[in-house]
Amino acid sequence: MTTTTETDKTTETDKTTETDKDTTSTETTTSTDRSEDTVTDDRPEDATTADTAVLALNHVSYAYTKGGKQVIHDLSHTFEAGRVHAITGPSGAGKTTVLSLLSGLTSPTEGRILYKGKDLERTNRYDFRSHDIGVIFQSFNLLPSLTVEENIVLSMDASGKSFDRPKPEIVRELLAKVRLAEEYANERILHLSGGEQQRVAIARALSYGPDVIIADEPTGNLDLATQDDIMRIFRELAHSEGKCVIIVTHSPDVARQSDEVFELAPLRRR
Amino acid sequence: MFIVKNAVRSVTRNKGRNILIVIIVAIIAAAATIGLSIRDAAQTARDEGLQNTTVTATISVDREKLMSQARSSSSSSGSSSSDGKPDFDAMRSALDQSSLTLADYLKYAKASSVDVSTYYTEETSVSATDDFQPVESSTSASNSSSSSSSSSSSSSGSSGSDNANRGDAQGQGGPGGDGGQMGGMTQGDFSLTGFSSDTAVANARNGSFTMVDGEVFGYDSASNGEAIISKSLADFNDLSVGDTITVTSPTDESVTYKLKIVGIYKNTTSENTTQSGPMGGTSQDAANAIYTSVSTLKSLGLDSDTTAKAASSSSSSDSSSKTAATQLNFTYVLGSKSDYETFAKDVEKAGLDDTYTVQSSDVENYEASLVPLDNLAKFALTLLIIVLAVGAVVLIVINLFNIRERKYEVGVLTAIGVRKAKVAAQFAVELLIVTMIGIALGVAGGAAASVPVSNQLLAQQISSQESQAQSQQAQFGRNADMGGPDQQDSSNTDSGSSSSDSADSNSYDSSDSTGSSGTQSNAQQSGSQRGPGGMQRAISYVSNVNATVNFAIVAKMVAIGLGLTLLSALAGIISVIRYEPLQILADRS
Repeated sequence: MTTTTETDKTTETDKTTETDKDTTSTETTTSTDRSEDTVTDDRPEDATTADTAVLALNHVSYAYTKGGKQVIHDLSHTFEAGRVHAITGPSGAGKTTVLSLLSGLTSPTEGRILYKGKDLERTNRYDFRSHDIGVIFQSFNLLPSLTVEENIVLSMDASGKSFDRPKPEIVRELLAKVRLAEEYANERILHLSGGEQQRVAIARALSYGPDVIIADEPTGNLDLATQDDIMRIFRELAHSEGKCVIIVTHSPDVARQSDEVFELAPLRRR
Repeated sequence: MFIVKNAVRSVTRNKGRNILIVIIVAIIAAAATIGLSIRDAAQTARDEGLQNTTVTATISVDREKLMSQARSSSSSSGSSSSDGKPDFDAMRSALDQSSLTLADYLKYAKASSVDVSTYYTEETSVSATDDFQPVESSTSASNSSSSSSSSSSSSSGSSGSDNANRGDAQGQGGPGGDGGQMGGMTQGDFSLTGFSSDTAVANARNGSFTMVDGEVFGYDSASNGEAIISKSLADFNDLSVGDTITVTSPTDESVTYKLKIVGIYKNTTSENTTQSGPMGGTSQDAANAIYTSVSTLKSLGLDSDTTAKAASSSSSSDSSSKTAATQLNFTYVLGSKSDYETFAKDVEKAGLDDTYTVQSSDVENYEASLVPLDNLAKFALTLLIIVLAVGAVVLIVINLFNIRERKYEVGVLTAIGVRKAKVAAQFAVELLIVTMIGIALGVAGGAAASVPVSNQLLAQQISSQESQAQSQQAQFGRNADMGGPDQQDSSNTDSGSSSSDSADSNSYDSSDSTGSSGTQSNAQQSGSQRGPGGMQRAISYVSNVNATVNFAIVAKMVAIGLGLTLLSALAGIISVIRYEPLQILADRS
């Protein structure tokens, strides 16, 4: 815990949350104890966050190599259910790193990531990934040789959850939710356009009912209409299904449509 | 379940690649199956060939060893080696003492820990009387041959007697004896052979025979004086069952022996009876063989113990008294080859001097007949090792490339929360499915091909073995193996006739080359070269193997397949474990 206050900048990001009503519940670190320089001018409601916070970064630092350059440093933030969070920031601010950390693909070199109050380090990150979090990768990461349905069912199988209905039926339903026609189910991923693949990736992320949806540049190379459509899907998920949606983006448009914006400042060595 | 399901799906999805692997594995498996089945068949042939048949064994003296011992002892004494010549006397006496007595043979039979039955024959020669003459084409020929042989034996000093004694010690059941020994034996007109039991009779040196009239003598003392003679001899002398014949000792015509004919036999292998060559003498003629029991010989004072004593009491230079010595051929009959091996060990433990060796013509013949098969088995082993090594390398390489190619898949699977172990297991199961299909096809193909292929390979081995023997024969004009002591003895006696003699026997042998090993030893003729390193045996090579694929082989193949799969999967698994999903996905984007 050497120092100080690049992270202070994070607090400023909250200004961008012009949109909505409950500006109240934003950043809370779990710790009142170490409030001295990190969490300075947060919104005050630390106590309530324990209930609503699904994911929380707690003084997280990360370096790719041990002892190497820190990509993020002493970052704290909470993400609540029922809201769409946008993580923004200039290139090199560590957006993808934060996403990897949140999705349990990698672990922080310092600090903790809490999922529902539990340290992710202590839970099985594979189980976490397969059960609790749905990740929509920038490059979709669908298996090209599989059909849409197979890709989705693969994730359902991997989660190890049991489903009350036959899986193909759920797949049809999910496709409807992401506004894909039913006949796409047996189409190879390779035959799909980027926007369609994006929708399949969302459907896959939703298939096993995770609490958290994380999307990396979900609208990166899509036209505006598609982008709006996909954002509508995300807002729907957050607001009507109470999921915690986290979107990593550098599109101000997307940020504007989110409930909250968490802006990462680029690291500058002092 | 997830793993298997995914694996099956993945296998069906990547048909092209998997078919390639199936083909490679099938080829490897087919070659390995053939290799394994050949080895298996060779092993079975080796194990079972003599397992359930009886094996006869004999104890023979290792004369080279004996002579080298004698040489070393004589040179240590330093007496006669000064003139640079070998100490013949020491040699002879060493050879002379080397014969085992009947009691010795029986002692070793008792020492055996496995069941062993024994039989023995004693063979001596007797001379004709006026009213009992041997079968011969011309008396003059017979006389000249016998006189030449006797003169040769006397001219070579006691070498003839040595041979006779050595013949005792060598004690081969049927085919024992060589030219030199026969030279010593041909002084009589008849060979008088005493048998200890029916087994001994069945293994009579002149081949098996059938009774034309009467029956075979008994073996106890009550049947003393009984004998059977060949039909030719009976016809020649106009004798029938119940008649009594009188023969004399070849060395002393005043000693006569009376034998009662209780049966007349006819050799079943009739061509053997024409064996007598220029020097063969009448007693060599199978027609002039008189068979009786050892008990009879004993009562007549012609058994080996008595004659050996007589011989040793007389001076060693007196060849005439020794040539009458009776040869003892003692044979052990054992249940199987493994019994034979046990017996050989037991006998050694029981104190058999190391100048003697236990030999079995059955086993030797059998071993010789297995040479091509052994070569084939060696070849099969080499094939197997190469195929498996190449197969392992190919599989590992394919699998590594495969997994490299599927790195992205590994990244996606781990990113959506499938554990690496599961991913690795899925890949292993995929490979297993593919290789098992390949092995199934390969084993099926190998099973179909193994019998013709292995027999084809075996035929090649046999023909190369045979052509080797032929080229030897062409080079030397005879069988190249004959440089041993036996050959020298033959030349001592009468080099000209012995070579023709051996040529006779060889031509006979080769004509009989289709005979089985069991009949060979019985059928071999008196003139045949026989001894350590001194004979060309008629060998019928094992020309057919039953290289069928059995469950054991299939199980072995499956085990090998599993091993190869796991080995190559291990390489893949290690590379899977190394991947971090983040890196893979980052590489991608």
